[in-house]
Amino acid sequence: MAGAPIAKTVLTSARPAPPAHPAVRATLIVLAVSFLTIFILLPLINVFVQAFAKGWEGYLAVFWPPSPPEGATLTAVQTRKLAEAAVQTSRTWSAIGLTLQVAAIVVPLNIVFGLAAAWATTKFQFRGRALLLSLIDLPFSVSPVVAGLVFVLLLGRNGIFGDWATHLTWPDPFSLRWVGFENGFPLAFARDFTGVIFTPLAIVLASIFVTFPFVARSLTPLMESQGAEEELAALSLGASGWRTFWKITVPNVKWALLYGVILCTARAFGEFGAVSVVSGHVDVNDTMPLRIEKLWNEYNNQAAFTVASVLALLAVFTLIAKTAIEWKTARDLQQQHQGQAQ
Amino acid sequence: MTIEIRDISKSYGQNQILRNIDLKINSGELVALLGPSGSGKTTLLRVIAGIEQADAGSGPVLFDNVDVSDVDLGKRRIGFVFQHYALFKHLNVFENVAFGLRAKPRRERPNEAHIREKVQSLLDLIQLGNMAQRFPSQLSGGQRQRVALARALAVEPRVLLLDEPFGALDATVRRELRRWLRRLHDTIHVTTIFVTHDQEEALEVSDRVAVMNGGRIEQYGPPQEVYEKPASAFVFKFLGNYNLFQGRGQGAGGEALVRPHDIVIHRDADAAGEGAQPGVVAHIGFGGPVVKVELETSDKSRVDVEVTAPTFRDLDLKRGERVFFALRTQQEYAHDFVI
Repeated sequence: MAGAPIAKTVLTSARPAPPAHPAVRATLIVLAVSFLTIFILLPLINVFVQAFAKGWEGYLAVFWPPSPPEGATLTAVQTRKLAEAAVQTSRTWSAIGLTLQVAAIVVPLNIVFGLAAAWATTKFQFRGRALLLSLIDLPFSVSPVVAGLVFVLLLGRNGIFGDWATHLTWPDPFSLRWVGFENGFPLAFARDFTGVIFTPLAIVLASIFVTFPFVARSLTPLMESQGAEEELAALSLGASGWRTFWKITVPNVKWALLYGVILCTARAFGEFGAVSVVSGHVDVNDTMPLRIEKLWNEYNNQAAFTVASVLALLAVFTLIAKTAIEWKTARDLQQQHQGQAQ
Repeated sequence: MTIEIRDISKSYGQNQILRNIDLKINSGELVALLGPSGSGKTTLLRVIAGIEQADAGSGPVLFDNVDVSDVDLGKRRIGFVFQHYALFKHLNVFENVAFGLRAKPRRERPNEAHIREKVQSLLDLIQLGNMAQRFPSQLSGGQRQRVALARALAVEPRVLLLDEPFGALDATVRRELRRWLRRLHDTIHVTTIFVTHDQEEALEVSDRVAVMNGGRIEQYGPPQEVYEKPASAFVFKFLGNYNLFQGRGQGAGGEALVRPHDIVIHRDADAAGEGAQPGVVAHIGFGGPVVKVELETSDKSRVDVEVTAPTFRDLDLKRGERVFFALRTQQEYAHDFVI
């Protein structure tokens, strides 16, 4: 889930490979397979092996602490251990919750930004377009830690906008509660945050920074190749801009959009570096990757690997979805080409 | 509906595409904008459509004497057909044609039964009545172009604008479709402008042809007039094959242009009459009804001559034979000086 640039799916031609010495071919295949096994497959398997080191019960205990048997009298040590386990699991759940919340904010924003950026760079010609294109790619080349530091330097106590940012009060959007009609508006925020750095807002900002290119980059090549003619045709038929966007543009890019969204979600869940810098290492600001690191540092290897296995499962799911979409778009393209060849 | 444009200019940065264009199109006319690539014909069409804005300081675009320069593309009630059809890939033929009807504001939108009826009648008109459920990818090029036309016609446009409508089709389908377009135009009589770089297409289909070059209209008139009385050397050269004779006739420094079929070949000098020149048959190319004869003159230049097959049979020419040729007509133009 690192910031690898997105390569667009290209139709693989059915042309036979150039002749090569069988030994060369065998060597290359063995090299590739063993490299993948050693560096990717084995570590991935190890994650699950370690996660299940204490069996299913141990795995589940990371999320749901075992309750003491009915009516058993507990020693002081046992009580303390149970209380400790309850604290640990609640921290894990809070990390899972925060990760989902951050993704729930970052991904929709990314769709909007990505569509706007891809639209601007592909359907219009303007001065600075090339610069904008390379700026979109910037997060791929900047180390996530630097991205996090940028926000600290901008919004931290001594940052350029530090004065303003440290006194900024903003409501937690996920604390919106029904409070009845007594005070007028029936919805209110139950919780406010003050400051930006070392709060979930900073985590959202850092995540937006590192995930920004995904949607834009997966849309750009497709929108570029499609041009603006279908949109112009729709407009000339009297459709409004809004209708043209929803009925023509979105259906044309939906698979590329979904592809970008999946990559963006995976990255938002898995981002460590940028988030680590701005989180302040406070327990309430832990996302799943940060939680994994803390469990590991507390010598709680099995729990660390258990949480890691959830992320790894997500990665596997992402891979499957990504492959399915690539396969689907390649098939669509092929049909289009066959249609044109008629 | 009449269309009139006055003093339209258009540039992209330093690059001037249209230079002070004036054009008037009568109601129900079928007009071709003919020119080589880069002559500005597509840009002119897009300015009329409202896809492109003319430069500041340009004159108006008038539809029925009403200035539409500031009217949006969607409000001009034009039907635009793109060179590569621009069909909506994810919609079937029926929904493509119905798109404009469904996009109308609620008050004007016909009900579902009306839409069905209208779309079906249009599909019958383009002879694709049984392909309503097909997707664009399942159609041939010619079928796609017809769907694009039906889609544009569905909203009952006041004017039909076609950008190289047959440009992406092979020769046989092209010929078939342009006759079909002519017949269609004769039935529905909507004012139509189409862009093409194919002189044969423009001359065959249109009521009037505007020949464009370098962002200007060089000549505007009925096909026969444009072909027989080209207003400039450019128009002459663009409309067909030609032979160029430098500095002949009165205007020294000018050029005389002669069509290959306006040259007569004779076997003896007396019959050829005054002004006939000698030449040697250098090459004979059989092209069915017309035979192309290449003559080499005394100063080693080549002259292309086209003779009909029966004439050729009577002449019984062989390669290397000495003959005489005379010019039936010729057009003289002063040299174009490029500043």
